[in-house]
Amino acid sequence: MRHFWIDTDTASDDAVAILMALRWPDIQVDGISVVAGNVHVEVGAKNARYTVDLCGKRTPVYIGSDHPLVREPFWGYFFHGQDGMGNMNYPEPDMPAAMGNAVEAFIDVVRKRPGEITLITLGPLTNIAIALKIAPDIVNKIPMCYSMAGAAATLGNVTPAAEFNVFVDPEAAKIVFDSGLPILMVGWEHCRGEANLVEEEIALVRSFRTPYGDFAIDCNAHAIPTNQQWLGEPGLSLPDPVTMAIAIDPGICIKRGKHFVDVETVSDVTRGMTVVDQLGVTKKEPNIEVCWQINVKQWKELLYQTLK
Amino acid sequence: MAEKIIIDTDPGIDDSIAILTALQSPELQILGLTSIFGNAEIEKTTQNALRLIELAGKSSIPVAHGSATPLVIPLLEIAMQVHGGDGLGNTNPAPSKGKPVEKSAAEFIVDCIQVNPHEVTLLPIGPLTNIALALKLEPGIVGLVKQIIIMGGAISTAGNISPVAEANFYHDPHAAGIVLGAGWPVVIVSLDVTHKTVMTQSYLDEIYGSKNPLTDFLKRILPYYQQFHDQFYGMGGAIHTHDPSAVCYLLDPGLYQTENVPVHIETSGLCMGQSIADRHHQWQNHPDVKVCMDVNAAGVLSLIKNRLTQ
Repeated sequence: MRHFWIDTDTASDDAVAILMALRWPDIQVDGISVVAGNVHVEVGAKNARYTVDLCGKRTPVYIGSDHPLVREPFWGYFFHGQDGMGNMNYPEPDMPAAMGNAVEAFIDVVRKRPGEITLITLGPLTNIAIALKIAPDIVNKIPMCYSMAGAAATLGNVTPAAEFNVFVDPEAAKIVFDSGLPILMVGWEHCRGEANLVEEEIALVRSFRTPYGDFAIDCNAHAIPTNQQWLGEPGLSLPDPVTMAIAIDPGICIKRGKHFVDVETVSDVTRGMTVVDQLGVTKKEPNIEVCWQINVKQWKELLYQTLK
Repeated sequence: MAEKIIIDTDPGIDDSIAILTALQSPELQILGLTSIFGNAEIEKTTQNALRLIELAGKSSIPVAHGSATPLVIPLLEIAMQVHGGDGLGNTNPAPSKGKPVEKSAAEFIVDCIQVNPHEVTLLPIGPLTNIALALKLEPGIVGLVKQIIIMGGAISTAGNISPVAEANFYHDPHAAGIVLGAGWPVVIVSLDVTHKTVMTQSYLDEIYGSKNPLTDFLKRILPYYQQFHDQFYGMGGAIHTHDPSAVCYLLDPGLYQTENVPVHIETSGLCMGQSIADRHHQWQNHPDVKVCMDVNAAGVLSLIKNRLTQ
């Protein structure tokens, strides 16, 4: 059994990613920590709890940071809808939020299972940065972290330079990237173009006639048109599920390279830009594995498998 | 009832004076020392905190190990010319037998405040990383703490580590910004008053002349600090009174003239760590903090001498 911890700002695509991990046979999700990002932390926690309920699990959902480390919050309601879930207004889930501090709960689990907890981050990195600062020993106890973060040598989404998660809390991202944690950075570019679910593929998911397939499409009801109007991207873009697919099957990332990756924290223009030193010109020790290419067919097949 | 305090500290020569002054003050109950990098690396400041409580015969006071590095910026070079390679003027005292508690400094601070709601005064006299992390870990402590008395900043005076920045804020400007912006009761004991409070050689000699054995320790570690002050400021054996001033504010706030004003911290560039008072509220909404602008220096010096020579 593989052990996962998911850190998430649960809105629509996070929910699909959580569902994928919860429904994968050889994975146990030991906990979910929620962070302010797409939506307020309590809203995100409700969405995560709803997703856990839907999957028939009792995975503890902890409420984490309600605010980025240094910056003012920047929300993603415009993209995910007023509830973060495509305005589906899902009912209050049965399972309450777990008691206790999210950051301390995460540290505890990692220390109890050193070398066993794979970390998947789907939101701003505030919780993880705090954890690494108060418990630096966990760096050597986490074998791998898969992060939906940044945009490697390409366009951003919330600004021309920056992807949402890193833009929202660039200081936290810098802390995590500089920490020595083994990270595979899955940038926003891997859920564009061919990686999107187009109309026929959305219809295919509907044809499964499962609550999971319907949920995956329904909760993205606001994201699909917004993605088209806002960024001109056709179909359903699923950044967090792509990252989760790679965490479940790392072979889906078919081209990767380790580079020095820095995060812009000073400039307003390029705030949160993930600067990848592909040529090694900074002479700094590579700290991050960058995912350069995914196998689109395999990503979609893995997604379908979890929704059937 | 004694005032419950946590000293967050990077000892540190002037930290040592401050800690010993606090330990010698019956109206204070020290719940713990939390260590932070700054005047020396974290392993050394933790060790020095342990040494100080052992020296004072108060080994039951817990020491919690704090952050090794600033929140966001990389660790800056340690100013060994000020406090020595060991943080204690290169006197290299014997290691302490004590050990830090298991919890991190930030968790220790959160726990103490939650267990003693509205009673705990935080007294940070180093970079503010631990305090910022405690706030981030448990934002609820904002409404539960009694007050935070910080040695740091330079409001209407020049800096020390740079022309504009005081060292504690400079070492972790992001943390300072978080702590000053949190909207809890903050007092800043800044260079505006610590530079006006000068301990001369003859003042120190009077302290050393007392029978209290703690002053022998100060007598060993202080010459290095005096030498730095002489080389940098030409003070001829005198020193500024930085960290002990925060303890004095706590013991007798009447010794200080204060002003309530929002203070912003520059986090990058040439002016990193600068503390800027926005007296006319021209920048965005930011909570007021109490800044010490003037001091009865003779009163402060007499208070410190009184405590150390008891």
